[in-house]
Amino acid sequence: MKLAGIKSVDNAHDDSVWAVTWAPATATRPPLLLTGSLDETVRVWKSDELILDRTNTGHCLGVASVAAHPLGSIAASSSLDSFVRVFDVDSNSTIATLEAPPSEVWQMRFDPKGSILAVAGGGSASVNLWDTSTWQIVATLSIPRVEGPKPSDKSGSKKFVLSVAWSPDGKRIACGSMDGTISVFDVQLAKFLHHLEGHFMPVRSLVYSPYDPRLLFSASDDGNVHMYDAEGKALIGTMSGHASWVLCVDVSPDGAAIATGSSDRTVRLWDLNMRASVQTMSNHTDQVWGVAFRPPGGNDVRSGRLASVSDDKSISLYDYS
Amino acid sequence: MREYFKQGKVDQFRQILEEGSSPEIDEYYADIRYERIAILNALGAYYSYLGKIETKQREKEEHFILATQYYNKASRIDMHEPSTWVGKGQLLLAKGEVEQASSAFKIVLEGDRDNVPALLGQACVEFNRGKYSDSLELYKRALQVYPNCPAAVRLGIGLCRYKLGQFEKARQAFERVLQASESHNLDPENVEALVALAIMDLRSNEAVGIRKGMVKMQRAFEIYPYCAMALNYLANHFFFTGQHFLVEQLTETALSVTNHGPTKSHSYYNLARSYHSKVEGECCLSYRVKRKVGNIEPLALALLVALIFSSSQGDYDKAGVYYMASVKEISKPHEFVFPYYGLGQVQIKLGDFRSALSNFEKVLEVYPDNCETLKALAYIYVQLGQTDKGHEFIRKATKIDPRDAQAFLELGELLILSDTGAALDAFKTARTLFKKGGQEVPIELLNNIGVLQFERGEFEFAKQTFKEALGDGIWLSFFSEANKSSIDAATSTLQFKDMQLFHDLESNGQLIEVPWDKVTVLFNLARLLEQLNESGTASILYRLILFKVNGKCPNALSMLGELELKNDDWVKAKETLRAASDATDGKDSYATLSLGNWNYFAAVRNEKRNPKLEATHLEKAKELYTKVMIQHSSNLYAANGAAVVFAEKGHFDVSKDIFTQVQEAASGSVFVQMPDVWINLAHVYFAQGNFALAVKMYQNCLRKFYHNTDSQVLLYLARTYYEAEQWQDCIKTLQRAIHLAPSNYTLRFDAGVAMQKFSASTLQKAKRTADEVRATVAGLQNAVRIFSQLSAASNLHIHGFDEKKIDTHVGYCTHLLSAAKVHLEAAEREEQQIRQRQEVARQVALAEEARRKAEEQRKIQMDRRKHEDELKIVQKQEEHFKRVKEQWKSSTHSKRRERSDDEDGGTAEKKKRKGGKRRKKDKHSKSHNDTEEMEPDMMDEQEMEDEDANTNYREELETHTKDVEENPQENPHGLLALAGLEDSDADDEPAGPSSTISRRRQALSESDDDEPIIKQSSPVRENSVDMEESDGEIRGGEKTHGDDASDEEK
Repeated sequence: MKLAGIKSVDNAHDDSVWAVTWAPATATRPPLLLTGSLDETVRVWKSDELILDRTNTGHCLGVASVAAHPLGSIAASSSLDSFVRVFDVDSNSTIATLEAPPSEVWQMRFDPKGSILAVAGGGSASVNLWDTSTWQIVATLSIPRVEGPKPSDKSGSKKFVLSVAWSPDGKRIACGSMDGTISVFDVQLAKFLHHLEGHFMPVRSLVYSPYDPRLLFSASDDGNVHMYDAEGKALIGTMSGHASWVLCVDVSPDGAAIATGSSDRTVRLWDLNMRASVQTMSNHTDQVWGVAFRPPGGNDVRSGRLASVSDDKSISLYDYS
Repeated sequence: MREYFKQGKVDQFRQILEEGSSPEIDEYYADIRYERIAILNALGAYYSYLGKIETKQREKEEHFILATQYYNKASRIDMHEPSTWVGKGQLLLAKGEVEQASSAFKIVLEGDRDNVPALLGQACVEFNRGKYSDSLELYKRALQVYPNCPAAVRLGIGLCRYKLGQFEKARQAFERVLQASESHNLDPENVEALVALAIMDLRSNEAVGIRKGMVKMQRAFEIYPYCAMALNYLANHFFFTGQHFLVEQLTETALSVTNHGPTKSHSYYNLARSYHSKVEGECCLSYRVKRKVGNIEPLALALLVALIFSSSQGDYDKAGVYYMASVKEISKPHEFVFPYYGLGQVQIKLGDFRSALSNFEKVLEVYPDNCETLKALAYIYVQLGQTDKGHEFIRKATKIDPRDAQAFLELGELLILSDTGAALDAFKTARTLFKKGGQEVPIELLNNIGVLQFERGEFEFAKQTFKEALGDGIWLSFFSEANKSSIDAATSTLQFKDMQLFHDLESNGQLIEVPWDKVTVLFNLARLLEQLNESGTASILYRLILFKVNGKCPNALSMLGELELKNDDWVKAKETLRAASDATDGKDSYATLSLGNWNYFAAVRNEKRNPKLEATHLEKAKELYTKVMIQHSSNLYAANGAAVVFAEKGHFDVSKDIFTQVQEAASGSVFVQMPDVWINLAHVYFAQGNFALAVKMYQNCLRKFYHNTDSQVLLYLARTYYEAEQWQDCIKTLQRAIHLAPSNYTLRFDAGVAMQKFSASTLQKAKRTADEVRATVAGLQNAVRIFSQLSAASNLHIHGFDEKKIDTHVGYCTHLLSAAKVHLEAAEREEQQIRQRQEVARQVALAEEARRKAEEQRKIQMDRRKHEDELKIVQKQEEHFKRVKEQWKSSTHSKRRERSDDEDGGTAEKKKRKGGKRRKKDKHSKSHNDTEEMEPDMMDEQEMEDEDANTNYREELETHTKDVEENPQENPHGLLALAGLEDSDADDEPAGPSSTISRRRQALSESDDDEPIIKQSSPVRENSVDMEESDGEIRGGEKTHGDDASDEEK
């Protein structure tokens, strides 16, 4: 397993690129790459050549997260102004604007079936679930406060929810917080199940293995990537190697590898059998905020692709094999 | 004759023999050859025996020469006499010339296969050659030929069997020697056999065997006190029982009686070992003393150790010398390698690492997998600064013996400097190994683990580890106490040196015991608790240390001082710190530094400062820093502090110089990471108004030290942009900071303030475009959103903002927003008007031109064709005129200007600018009302918001200060990082050392006063695309004009 650089686009955005995701292929077109940036735009790129397809404006502050519907036709972007803009990928027409004050908006993910959009609610210590047909909130998954915090205490911000991930069967949601804990919810019952402990700094990114609905990967500012048995509350493994915060993690479609991006400006590829870093890409010149494997589908199913985005305003595309 | 010899009357024996061999006898008994040969051989044997037992080299030589002479004489009489050859062989053996001896024996054996003496001799030769089985065969043959042979034969058999590893048979042989010697009355007390048996007993490694062996050894010693082997073994024994005096005596005797290299080497080794361990023993003793005394003054303890060490220095030297002697006796290191090891150890102790290195490497050649040696080598490499090699060796050691906790411990210690994560792992492994092995985990190890966890920010784990290290003790009650309601008690004891609590406890019958080795752990735990904001407990622990261990422990005092400082107990903190400083006679630079810091804080802390006090405090701080600088001219922290004081006083150039120097010094060293100097330097640039440099400095610092992940520095950066009025950059930077630290709502607040300020400043700007105004409106909307979000969130008690403050901001922003909307409308209206005006002007110009052209054409045509075409042209012109007139009429509302425009007629641009300017006067009356209404409160609001921003930043600073304070040991300099910023706050006040900022601000506010007049003057841009779609030329002209205008605005 290895990564081979295909193309890099310098100055892909006017400012730091913070978010990346793939919109899956539809009947009429191959997969597209969506990137969100501090320059308040979302840009749509044609894959492999990374040709700029469109620039979507409409946010007033930096775009912190982008998420694509599994069918590939719609996508959502969220910015620091706490708005979520749901739009049609191909036409850029706005489908809905979501807002749930007072909670701000961080990472978002569509569920595997595409019927719910989960939005990490930051300081509200909750995850909001939006129905993708009516665009109404169907549930709010709140992290229970364990110890009654004193009003003066700043511990209220401890359960600040940054990241969110769906299990491949769509039954579970895991969310990562500023204090390093990961909370697991039952979606159907909208019920909090348990915490996963092990990180001590913010968990900025989470992803479930595509095949094992129990296996969860998390990236944290403490420089480690953890593997959890999300049902059994057990820490299976720790993978360390990054010299600074690990900002993002994504798992390959074949489930055999994960990729991480870090403040140490590198992208690392980890072999899950060996539980070790097998490759380090250092073509970015600033912290790497996002990595995303291209989902299978479309014409060229075989060839895996990984995209990474960075504060250096650039996008890099790699071949994964 | 033989009787004489046996009876020990050696002199008579020799006399007779010598007489028998005198020249006269030779002549007289010329034909009795055999007897003569016998006499000569006896003499030869006598002298070779003498030579053999003689220890002095020269006399030995002489004896051997004499013996040779006699044998030669004997062989002159008869070349083929076997006994002569045997004698010669023996002599050669005694001289150590094994090969020649062998050939001599072989000559005899060729003649007589069963010549017993020759057989024995040959066996001896083979034995020396190391061919033990051959030797054994020969001995056996000798025994068969002559069953009553002396015990020596059986001894030989025993030795051979021993060497061949047939220990049981060897034992039998030795025992038979002893029995035989008794029954045959031959050699009743055969020392060699005894020694051999004793050695075998000793090797059995069982207590009984060893005791038996020692008994035998002692008997052998009593029988014959000069057997070096026996002496060595005895010495060895006494070494282990610790009777160093005996060891020395025995080995010295052994040394004097033997010439055999390996044996001598062994003796030297024993001797050296004895001295070596004597030293260690004394150190051990002092260690035990330390344990017992516990709370002895550290200084006195150090003295004691030094004293013992200096007295033992001599012994080390001696040990070294003897090891060296031992080593010299060894030709090949793999024969006897222990002395190398010992020598290496001594050399390490004496600091001669290079020699030690070569010695240990020799040991390693023989035992490539010896963990101890590997560890020793690792240690040496580390001492020599070759850390990598050290790592290699220690890693090898841990690989070879993965259960050697000690090795992991050492590995961890090695890694601490380079890789804390790996070090922690190593320590943890060591801990589990200790636990598995059922051993008690050393407190030091737990302490190290705790500290590493502490440094990595794993506070809870660190706390557990420290507690584990501490075990049971009085502190447990403090923890529980602190957890329970008795926090009141804790706070009530928060008085300087108030040991009441402990006295109470003692009077309650509770013993307060602090073992000496737990003080460090206690201290670390206290630091940890401090970090965890459990300052009450931390303070108790510090006090405990002070109370129990040492009332003047400067470290604990310093920490306590910092703690009190944090709790705002200024006076107490000062006293404590001063006590710390006094405790070390002002020689502890840390205490002095802390005191300096205290003074500095005292100078800058109050909102309403007393200038006089401030000055004195600053002066004092400077003095203290300078004092530290004098003691340690290279103390970066002191230099940093001094520079901060200079900066505080407004001597920016001086402080800049110092900061730059500190920065250079720090960047030259790998171990010192001082990002704070960079920040301070940036603060100075900032305070001097050199925003561009400050920005660069902050950015470099971020990249160099923080992987761009420190939101605090980003905040500084944002502030710099803010002051530089680069609003967009400021907002961007704040967004980055928010992205990095999402839960820091203060950053959002700041972003809101920045947007508000940006909008306000745009609205106040003299020239702006409708787009700018639109951006302003968007910014304001964002700001409103952010503020209202914050105010909503504050209901959830997420952050500590004053709701009212946010509400004011919301109010102001909405107000501004409504105003901005008016502005926007006005701007858009004006834009339209201008567009229309331009349109009209262009139409006019067009018309003029058309007329002119028509005129020309007319003239030409008139010239050319006066008659026919005239009528047509006139008609056309008239039509044209009509159309133009109609158009004129349609734009009646600007008739007056039309005329003026007509008058000017020249270039469009000038005309318009002038027109605009004139207009502003007209408009002034209209818009003035507007502006005036807004202006006063805008100014007010602006002030308010400035203040807000400042206090907000100050809050930030204070939190930062706290962060830094919490970890003072590592970075007392961190306290100073905020200095520059505090400065800049000061700059905002007009009284402060004025910098460009304030001047600029004044300038700005002046222009603010003037500018409203020009305010709505020239928003010139193409806005109404729908108005004139058709005329491309005109639009082009307009566009360039717009660009020009915006250029000018820039």
